[in-house]
Formats: sequence, structure tokens, C-alpha cells
Amino acid sequence: MVSVPVDNTPVEDPTQRPSMVLEGVGYAEVTDRVCRIIERPKPPIGWYIAFAISLCLLALFGVMIGYLLLAGTGVWGINNPVGWGFAIVNLVFWIGIGHAGTLISAILFLFRQRWRTGVNRAAEAMTIFAVACAGVFPAIHVGRIWLLHWFFPVPFQQNMWPNFRSPLLWDLIAISTYGTVSLMFWYMGMVPDLATLRDRAKNKLWFYVYGLLSLGWRGSNRHWLRFERAYLLLAALATPLVLSVHSVVSFDFAVSQLPGWHTTIFPPYFVAGAVFGGFAMVTLLLVPCREFFGLKELITLRHLENMAKIMLATGSIVGFAYATEFFIAWYSGNPYEGFAFINRMFGPYAWAYWIMISCNLLAPQIFWWKRARTHIWTLWIVAILVNVGMWFERYVIIVTSLSRDFLPSSWDYYMPTWVDMLTLLGSFGLFFTLFLLFVRYLPMVAMAEVKSVMPQSVEGHEGHKPFGDYWGDVPEQHDEDDAWAPVGRKP
Amino acid sequence: MSSLKGNDFWRSLEELEDTPAFREMLRDRFPHFVALANGPASRRGFLKLMGASLAFGGLVGCRRPQERIVPHASRPDGRDPGVPVQYATSMDVGGAAIGLLVTSFDGRPVKVEGNPGHPASAGGTNAVAQASVLELYDPDRSQAVVRNERGTRMVQDWAAFDGFAKSHFEGLRTAGGEGLAVLAEASSSPSRKALQHRVAEAFPGSRWIEYESLSRDSERAGLRSVFGTPTRAALDLSRAQVVVSLDADLFGDHPDQVRHARDFAAHRTGEGGEMSRLYCVESAFSLTGAMADKRVPMRSGAIPAAALGLAARLLRADAGRGTLAPILATQLAGTAVTDGDRGPLDRMAEDLLAHPHDALVVAGPRQPAAVHALCALINLALGNEGHTVRHVVDPDGERVSHGAAIAELAGAIGEGQVSTLVVLGGNPAYDAPADLGFGALLEAVETTIHLGLYENETAGKCGWHLPRAHYLESWGDARGWGGTRGVVQPLIAPLYGGRSDLELLATLLGESTGGQEIVRETLRADFAGVDFESHWRRTLHDGVVPHGGEFPPVDSAGAGGTGLDLASLAGADGGGTEVVVVPDGKVHDGRFANLGWLQELPGAMTKITWDNAALVPPADAEALGLTTNDRIALTAAGATVELPVYVMPGQAPGTIAVAPGYGRGSAGHVGDGVGVDVGPLRTTGAMDVIPGVAAAAAAGTHDLACTQDHYPIDPIGESGMERRLDEIYRSADIEHYRHHPDFAQHVVHHPPLEQMFKDHEYDGHRWAMSVDLGKCVGCGTCVVACQAENNVPVVGRQEVENGREMHWIRVDRYFRGEPDAPRAVMMPVTCHQCENAPCEQVCPVAATVHDREGLNVMVYNRCVGTRYCANNCPYKVRRFNFFKFQDPDSDVEKMVFNPDVTVRSRGVMEKCSFCVQRINRVKIEAGNDGRLIEDGEIVPACAQACPAGAVVFGDLNDPESEVARLHAQDRSYALLGEMNNRPRLRYLARLTNSGEGGGHGGGPGGGHGEPEEGGHHG
Repeated sequence: MVSVPVDNTPVEDPTQRPSMVLEGVGYAEVTDRVCRIIERPKPPIGWYIAFAISLCLLALFGVMIGYLLLAGTGVWGINNPVGWGFAIVNLVFWIGIGHAGTLISAILFLFRQRWRTGVNRAAEAMTIFAVACAGVFPAIHVGRIWLLHWFFPVPFQQNMWPNFRSPLLWDLIAISTYGTVSLMFWYMGMVPDLATLRDRAKNKLWFYVYGLLSLGWRGSNRHWLRFERAYLLLAALATPLVLSVHSVVSFDFAVSQLPGWHTTIFPPYFVAGAVFGGFAMVTLLLVPCREFFGLKELITLRHLENMAKIMLATGSIVGFAYATEFFIAWYSGNPYEGFAFINRMFGPYAWAYWIMISCNLLAPQIFWWKRARTHIWTLWIVAILVNVGMWFERYVIIVTSLSRDFLPSSWDYYMPTWVDMLTLLGSFGLFFTLFLLFVRYLPMVAMAEVKSVMPQSVEGHEGHKPFGDYWGDVPEQHDEDDAWAPVGRKP
Repeated sequence: MSSLKGNDFWRSLEELEDTPAFREMLRDRFPHFVALANGPASRRGFLKLMGASLAFGGLVGCRRPQERIVPHASRPDGRDPGVPVQYATSMDVGGAAIGLLVTSFDGRPVKVEGNPGHPASAGGTNAVAQASVLELYDPDRSQAVVRNERGTRMVQDWAAFDGFAKSHFEGLRTAGGEGLAVLAEASSSPSRKALQHRVAEAFPGSRWIEYESLSRDSERAGLRSVFGTPTRAALDLSRAQVVVSLDADLFGDHPDQVRHARDFAAHRTGEGGEMSRLYCVESAFSLTGAMADKRVPMRSGAIPAAALGLAARLLRADAGRGTLAPILATQLAGTAVTDGDRGPLDRMAEDLLAHPHDALVVAGPRQPAAVHALCALINLALGNEGHTVRHVVDPDGERVSHGAAIAELAGAIGEGQVSTLVVLGGNPAYDAPADLGFGALLEAVETTIHLGLYENETAGKCGWHLPRAHYLESWGDARGWGGTRGVVQPLIAPLYGGRSDLELLATLLGESTGGQEIVRETLRADFAGVDFESHWRRTLHDGVVPHGGEFPPVDSAGAGGTGLDLASLAGADGGGTEVVVVPDGKVHDGRFANLGWLQELPGAMTKITWDNAALVPPADAEALGLTTNDRIALTAAGATVELPVYVMPGQAPGTIAVAPGYGRGSAGHVGDGVGVDVGPLRTTGAMDVIPGVAAAAAAGTHDLACTQDHYPIDPIGESGMERRLDEIYRSADIEHYRHHPDFAQHVVHHPPLEQMFKDHEYDGHRWAMSVDLGKCVGCGTCVVACQAENNVPVVGRQEVENGREMHWIRVDRYFRGEPDAPRAVMMPVTCHQCENAPCEQVCPVAATVHDREGLNVMVYNRCVGTRYCANNCPYKVRRFNFFKFQDPDSDVEKMVFNPDVTVRSRGVMEKCSFCVQRINRVKIEAGNDGRLIEDGEIVPACAQACPAGAVVFGDLNDPESEVARLHAQDRSYALLGEMNNRPRLRYLARLTNSGEGGGHGGGPGGGHGEPEEGGHHG
């Protein structure tokens, strides 16, 4: 047995599989590490600072929305040809962010990607909060927000259904379904951990709060059985949503006949982009979290490296989609389509286009190098760049297409106003406020799940084989009952 | 404080004391509220008046003698509440009138339309006439008699003025009228003419001066030199096969523009394979230049030489042919053509000679008198007299030219010969030649009385300001350019207690005759020998006197030679940079500056709103290092004016064009400070063309608010535009059309169009529209007409700059070819009412839906405002209420709204409805009468207003309808038809007649594409 450095989880040798949790961390320690963050009387000063800033931004968000409602949609930069601007860009951006959470929690679960356990809780939380941010924008972007209920297919006095042919209606249904399922999935997965918090509660208040939230969880076999079945079911339900939501969001554009929007490639392209952007956001959030909350042993470099690989893969898919769009624009022979893409590259919005290309296509290429994948700062900066790039991708798609469509007489240049900018900034306030509250009051790492992938539980005995070759045995040895067994069954 | 009445409220001691200092402060800080602040009485009086006039209007629909105002015990026939009534009237601008029919709802005039019975209108109108209802309800109009004494402004009433006038003018009369001068704006009114004579009789020593800053007096002088008597040229373009325009904007600033547009359209459809041809030699790019088959950009200063060259070429080409009458040769004997390299001129000469009697040469008001004389000689020589041009007797035979008259008045004032000056309308303090310093002169006159719609710059310098009654509030008469005699009848009692110029002149004469009596008195002479009352009623009904009353023709046979020196024209151009003053068809000389509809109407060629700019040709701009939105300083005769630059393709190098009427200081809330006053450049000798101007770049930039090309288009955009223009705007030369009559159907190559949804079925009507690009001159009248009809809001300069203009119909202007000599084309675009409407598919709340007659209707109440429909509209005709744009401050502003059309609020999408309210009105009427709707009975506002008759609306289910016939024409095409939207609006491709052989106007490779609708390959 060679001695290993502190975090050697990203291994070079493909025959070896590193541990999901660093050596020397036992079950108790996992619980302790995670719960300690919540139980300590005061969070670190950094949390207060971050929370104060987020809260200010959230207040800004509120003020901007209030101003919008009082004054009218005209406070934004949108104009006659460009009917959608920042609001819809932000909507697609935030919805996209959400995808990584669902992907991690549902698809990776179904694919038995065990490394997901370290990050899935935070990622799911991110999904919920991103969807919350996303949900605000379609609501406030309409001209008469007070009539928003007309969107819903419910009988009102007007005795009218909404128009089921409109992609906006599909969008509404897709996003609200997605939000609901994600929320359920996240909350349900948290129930055992909430019970742990309840059991460790130091005072009555938290005892009752966590008690209420944990829905009477006692950790019995029966509970576990039901829980695992339900979790599997929700995972199966959530999986198509990962694909459907952004596909439907892309229909908002693909179904219309605007050059630059009217493309069949949009659904897969949007989904890939969403996963790409989502993973960047998870990375962006977890890198500081594991640093500040002492979770390096649970969220290991290997997690981060895997996420970097996914960014590399999805980023390249997105890049491929860019190329395909161009090819089709040329190959279709449609002059308007062809112009829309040339205009994107070299027209007045070329700056946005090249920001998008450099951030989305070029920046992640650095992850071909392992050193980059395992270098915290590189990861974090690339994650930021990817988020910027993905925001600009939506900006490029929405704004350049609208600003120059068929009749040149209507062409106009869209520039956001200060209200647009501050509203976007404010939406980050909402997101981070929620996220900071989450890391303060809810278990950031899925304790129960992490325990299931610890060497101890996998091997059935205390960590003699930290770098075991168990991976190959997975299909035989680890059905889902097994995978979930350790926490509940072990006394 | 003695004037304090018991129940007057006051806000501060200063106000109570009403010191001059307080008034000064008020004027300083709240210039527009002075009128209100100046006396609680005036505000209350205004409200009383408003209430009263509403009541008057509501009860009788039209002004009637006041004693009859009582509620109807039984409703008279033909007066149904809510059912509009039309009255005929006339609107006079600058001495030429256009006949109108004004729609009145319950006594409230809301919409102006052309009077089909008036030859100057023939049913069409211009933008200014359309906007005149807004002027009527303008809250900035002056609302009280005002006395300015020693810098203090006091609100008075008519009784005070009448008292003053009685004694003052009686005194003047005893003095034989010495010292009295009347400075009147041009008017075609015979009644005013009669009163003018009576004033001259009563005050023999008085002066009568007529002044217009936009004058056509050079034409008058030129024609006078030929015909020996003041003469006016009335054109008949419908008979002209070849027209040569020398700096004349026949469709833009000519008083008879409406008639010209309609007449010209007659030979532009290529029916029968024949077309007229229009040559245009001009400096600034005008609507006429855009319509021209061949346009030659040339400095205004060089055009006299070109005119001379043209005449000489005519003579040379005619040698041996004898087509020309000798008069031209006689006049030009000894004038040689010096330059041999003016290709277009040779062609023009050939063309003119080939069409004797059917040709026309016409010069613009900027050109010197000799050019007009030369044109008249050419027309006479070609035998055009009585065919394409009628030279008629100018009604104002005795007056001197506007420029000379005002200069003479200024001289008289300077010499102290004028003690009383009556300013009848007009705004000489703003638009008199700069070198006269007229504003200061006004203050030197002892008694000055100004009658005007607004308390403008002149009013502020006059001792008395009297509110003038709007033409929709007063009685009068007016004559068209060709002489057609019409009446002006009021549709509402004066909102602000104004009086007409006729009534004021009567006051001067010590009479209190009402306007109606004055007009009747004038007509009585004309109706001698017939039953006056029946003729009078007939005149009121028709808007024109029976038998027209056209001006008599001058004796053209007796036309002698002009006394003007024609040979000197060859060297007229002094070189250097010239500035030409070109009215932009919106604010005219500044008098319409306070009308938001006009300020927001995009300039026909520039698409600039809310501004005037220096239109600089591309070459000069490059030389000066300027680009659009930079600023330029123009210096002439010691005065410098700084304007924003608009680089105008196709403008003659060396010419900078500016529009007058901007930069007003006392226009009102809307017009103040809009644009730059170019008045300082205009001096007595150079009002329209200012030679030898020094142009230099000035510091700073100024963003012009344009509705098209909102920002400089980059090379990518240029090339993208260039490539698609042939598909969007289809045109061809007549030569090409003769061989490929269906060229318009074969421009776009696309796969067969499949229908995914079940077709709508229409068992009733199937409304459709056709727009003839060959006829449309691009004047923008439809835009304002639509705005008036459909309560389309004015959004203001900032919002236009933000790209949020609300016009339901717009006129797209595209340039083709080299920037130095491009072609310009005009394309009106409004909702295409698509059969497969992209907007309908995407609205989540079904707020825009198809109706049973094929209209794509917008349900405002249901609209939530996602703007998805607008995004998906390929024509970008949908307009979103980004703010609460329709938010009138006062009740009077609300009066202009059409009660048949919803006023949209914030957050709602809107768009053209094909004037669904008009459709429904006719449907209801026809239903009540139990009859079918006739073709042409329903006319949307744009079609109604269009002077050229380019817009036709009708029912496609009626195979006999005009629109069905036009849709079936070979020139008909659907814009972006390859999208399979199946629009109900189709365009008729434009034909041009360049005479250059089979040159392809549009230039697309023809003949291999798919027709849009026949494209199903089975």
C-alpha cells in the first residue's frame, strides 16, 4: 500500500477507482461534518457578508420589478423589432442553470454514477432556486401582469381557453411541471437527512422545525423501502423532464418563423447548452462551498474533475451545434437564414457572438488537460466564463435574430437599459439569498447517500481497500436496495 | 389688490399682488402656464366655454345661430346620436385650398377626408390636412385676448379689444388711414379679398402687405414676364406623357400636390403597355425625384443653366422638324449651347419633342423667375398649353411679391410711417427674412395687433394678441390652386372664443358682421340671377360652388417674349456650397410645429421625426469628415446655424438641404425647441437658395430619431439589404414588363407551399387590400390619416429613438444603387391580415384571432402583452404600448379621439385592423337598408386619404370588385409570400419607364421562380 496525498482522488490509472470520500472519514464524521455547518450557533462571517450582499441584490430585484410595474414595460430596452430582451434571455439562462441539478440527481442516479452523491443535494437546490429565478421573468415580462392568470387553462368569466397552439403555453406547462417535480425530488431526498438534523437538534425550535419537515421519518426498513422506490420513481419521472423542459423552451423560438430561431436543431442544442451551463453553475457554487464549509473530504477533487469533463463534453456538443447551424443556414439556401447567421458573426452584435464563442467553445477546451481539471482556480474561472458565455448564447439567439429579420426597414438595435441590467443583477440576489439560506439551514450534502458510497459500506467492512476495483462488480453486487442499505440497516 | 373678487383664490402674496416681477418670474419658469396663471378668470372662462361649446356641438352638430340652442323635442331627421355626419369645407394653406369632408361625431369633428367633388382633392388629402383636427383641439392654442404692455402680459377679453378697436380705427379712418398697415398671410379667400378692398377704401392711406416665407413668387414673376399679367400654372399630369421637372417637387411641396399625385398615377400602371415618363433634375432628393424614371442630381444653382441647355437642345433637335412653335426660337435667338456633355438633357429634349402637346416642363419655386419663364416658353412652343398645363390668371393681380412686400413694410416701419400694424395670421417675427430684423421692428410700431391660432413669436411682440378661430370653427371661403371655389364652414363653435380673419377685418371696418354673413355677401355677387338660398345650400353641401369657379385662362396667344434675361441663366451658378430651404411637408413654414402627428410623421425621404437636419450629400459629408448625427455649422451672411447632419444619398454634391419651420420658441408644448431654426440664413434676396455658404464640422453630436435605419447600418447589413430588396420591392422597366408581364410572380424561388391547417371558409366577405407601388409617391398622408382614424398615439422623440413608434402603417423607403445617384423606392406596409397568420399561432391567450371575414383581429381586452405576436410577424407591423402613451392631460385633447375606436392602454399590442370600425359601420347601414355592400363603399382611412389612389380595399368574394381585379393582375405579388403566410394585402409591382431599353428595374433573375400560389407541384 502506497501512501497517498491528501486529495488524490483524481487518479490516472483507469483500472483504479478512487474513493468517493477521502480516507479517514467515517460515517459519524460525515454526519458531523454536514450537520456542524447547520448546528453551529453562528455561521462564519463570510456567510453574513455574502448574505447581506445577496439580500441587497434581492431588494434591488424587488425595486426594479416594482418600478417596472408602475411605469410599464418601456423601462426596458426592448423596442419594435426586438420584443424580447433581457427578460427572456434571463429566463432561458436560469432555466438552463437548473438542468444540471436534475441531471445530476436523476439521470446520473439512473446511470449509477455514484460520484453524484457528493454534489447532488446542492445541485438540486440550485435547480429549485434557478427555476424560481427563471419563473419570475416570464411573469414580469408581459405588458399586463395583472392578467397573468389568463395563461392558465382554468375557466374564467371570459369562458375562454388559452391558445394551445402557442409555445408560450407549452412553456408554462413545461416549466411549472419541472419546478414541481424538482421540488418534490429535492425535498423527498432530503427527508432522511432532515430526520438526522431533528435527532441532533439542540433546541426545541429546530427540533420542531426539522421534525415537521422530516415527516416522521424514523429510518425503519419500511421507510427506506418506500423511500427508495419513490426516489427511483421520481428520478425516472424527472429524467425526461431534463430533456423536455429545455426542448419546450427552445420551441418558443424554433416554432416561430424568425430567421435564426426557426431551426430544428434547437431542442438538443438547448438541452446540451443547459447541461453545460448548469454544470458550470454547480462548479461555481461548490468550489467555494467546499472551501468555506470544510467539505473537501465529501466533495472531492474527483467530483470537480468529473464535472469539468461534462463541461468539456457538453461544451463541445454546443460548439458542434453552432457549426451545424451555420452549415444548415448555408445548405438550406434560405437567404434570410443565411443572413441571420452571417449577421450574428460579423454584424452589429458580433461582440456578443464572439464572447459566446470564446466562453462556451474555447474556454472549456482547457479541460482536455488534467491539470486544468484539477486546478481549483482554473475550474472556477472557467465555470464563470461558461456562465457568461451561456448567458450570451441566449442573448445572441434572441436579440440578433429579432433585431434584423425580414424587412430591413424595421431593423433596430437593442440596447438594455439600466433597469434591464439591475434586474438581471437582482435575480442573482434572489438566487444567492435562497442558496445561502439553504447552506445555512439545510444539509448541503446528502449524508445518507454519501454514506452509501463510502468504501466502508461498499466493501462491507472498514476501509481496507480504499482504491478497490469494486466498480466492475456493480451490476451484480449493488442493486438499489444495497446501495441505500448502509445508513438504515447498520445499527 | 383692488381687482380681487370675493371668491378668488390666490396662492401667494406675489400672485395676489400680481406684480410685473411676479409675472416675469412666471414667464421665466412656466412659460406655458402663464395663460392659465394670469387669471383664474381665464381658466374658469375656458371651462365654461368648453362646456358650452360641447353642448352646442352635442345638440346641433354644427354651429347654428345661438338662439336656436335648445334640446330637441323631437329629433330632426338625419341626426342620430353616435352616427357621424360629414360636412364639406376647405383648408387653405399659403393661399391655395384643398376641399375636405370632415366627419363629425355628435358635433365633434374628428376626422378630415378629401372632398371627391373638389378637383384639388378628388377625395385625397395631404398629411397637413389630416392633422388639422389635432390643431383644432390643441390645448396650446391661444385662448384669450392678450394685451402686452411694457413687457407685461395681461389677459383681456374681446369686449376690451372691441372697445379699443372702435375708437382706434375710427381715429385712423378720420386720419385717412395714414400709418395703418395690414400684414396678412396669403389667403385664397374671395371674401378676404373683398374686405381688403373695403379696408383700402375706408383707409386710403393704408398699406396691405401679403407675406409667406414659403413663396412661389418667382414662378409668378416668371410667368408674368411671359404673359404680361400675373399668372399661375395649373398642371394636368394625367395628360402628360413626358414630364421634365426642374427642381420642382410636384408631389411634395406643391400646393396642388394631391391632384398631381392622382393625375400622375393615371399613367403608371402599364396597362395597355403604355406609360408616362418623368425626368427630374433636382438638388435635394424629393418625392418627385423618387418617382422619377430618370433623376439627375444637380445643384439648384446649376439648374438654370441646364434649363437653358434643355431649351437650346430642343431648338437644335427641332431644326428641320418644325414641331416647336417659333416663340422659343425667337426668345433664344443668339443663345448658344456651350456645353456638349449633358447626356440626359439630350434625351429629355428628344422625348419632349416626340410628345408635343403631351409633354410638360415645370420648374420649382427655388428656381429664379427666368427659369419659370423659360419653362412657360418651352411649354408654349411644344403646344402643351391647354393640355398638360393651363396658364390661368392669378387672382391676386395687384400685389407685389412677398419678399418685396415685407421688405417695403420693414422700410416703412423703419422710417416711422407705420403706427398701427395688424398682423392677420402668420408669424413674421419668426419667418421674415433675417436681414430685416422684423421682430425688433414690430416693437417699434406703436400699435400692433396680431391675430393667430397660437401665441407665437410674433404675438409676444405685439401689443394685442387675438385668438384666431380655426378653419374648422369659422366661416370662410377659399380657392384651390386652379381656382375651384369652395366654402369653409364651421363644424364646432370656437373652442376658445376665437375670431376669423374675416371677422377681425369687419371689426376694423367698425362692423360686427359675422363670418357667415360676410361669406354669403361675397357669394351673392356670384350667384346673381339665380336663387341664392338654394345655391347657397348646394354650395354648403358640395363644398364647392356650382360650376367650380376655376380661374380663367390667360391669353396665351398673346404671350409675348419674356423681358427677363434668359442668356444670363447660363452663368447663374456662383459655385461653392449652396443651402436650399426645402419644406418637409410636415410643419410647413413652422405653423404646424405644435402638431404631434406631424412632428412624428417620418420625413418622406429621411424618415427623421421630431427634428430637421442638414441633409448633406455623401461626397460633401466625406470631405467635411461628417456622418449622420454629427453636427454641421452653416454660415451665410454673417449668420451661423448649427444643425445635425443627415447624409442624404442622391443629393447633388455642393447642395445642403434644410427644412424651415423648426426651432420654434413659442410654438407650444409640443413644438418648442424641436429642431433648429434656419431662419437666420434666409435673407431677402436668398430665401430658398442660399449660395456661398461656408459649411464646417461643428462640435458634438445629436441623435436624430429616425423610424428607419435607427442606427448606422454596417456593411454586412448593407449587403443583406441589397440582396433581399429585389424580392421585397419588385419593380421592372416597362420594356421588361412587356416581355415578361408576370415578372413579379417569378422573383423568389421556393418549394411548393403546403397547407398544414384546414383553410378558413368564408361564405360572407373576404376583405383584402391592394397597394400599387407604381402609384404610391410616399407622401405619408396614409400614416397621419390612420393615426387620426385609429387613435394611434404620439410617442414623442425619445420613444421614436428607442424604436417604439406606434404607426399602424408606415412607408418604408429604400435606396438602390450608388449613394451618389441612387434610386429611392417607397413601400407602404401595414398589417397584411395573413390567412396563415404567424401572430395568431403564437399568442398564448388567443388575443389575436381570425374572424369570419378573414380579418386578423386584435382583441385588446384579452391581450396580456407577451409581444410574441410581434416577434413572429415577418412584416413587423405590430405595435406595443410600452407605456401609457394615450394619456391626455385635458378634456379638450380627448375630443380628437374617434369614438368608434378603442383607446389602447399600456401593455397592449395593437395593429392595423383594415379600419374594422368602418367595415362594420357600412355593414350595419347596409343591413338596415337590406341591401348588399357595394364595392368601394368601405374605404379604410389610408385608402381614403391616399392622394394617388394607390390603396384599394374590397371584398375578394366579390369577383367584380376592384381589389379582386387588382389581386388577379400580373403585377400583383405577396410580400414574403414564400413564407406561406398568404397575406390578404398584395402589392402591385412598380413599373418604371426609363427609356433605356430592356433595363431591369428590379434586377432579379426572372422567369425561373415559383409563383407564390400556383406553386403546388401536385
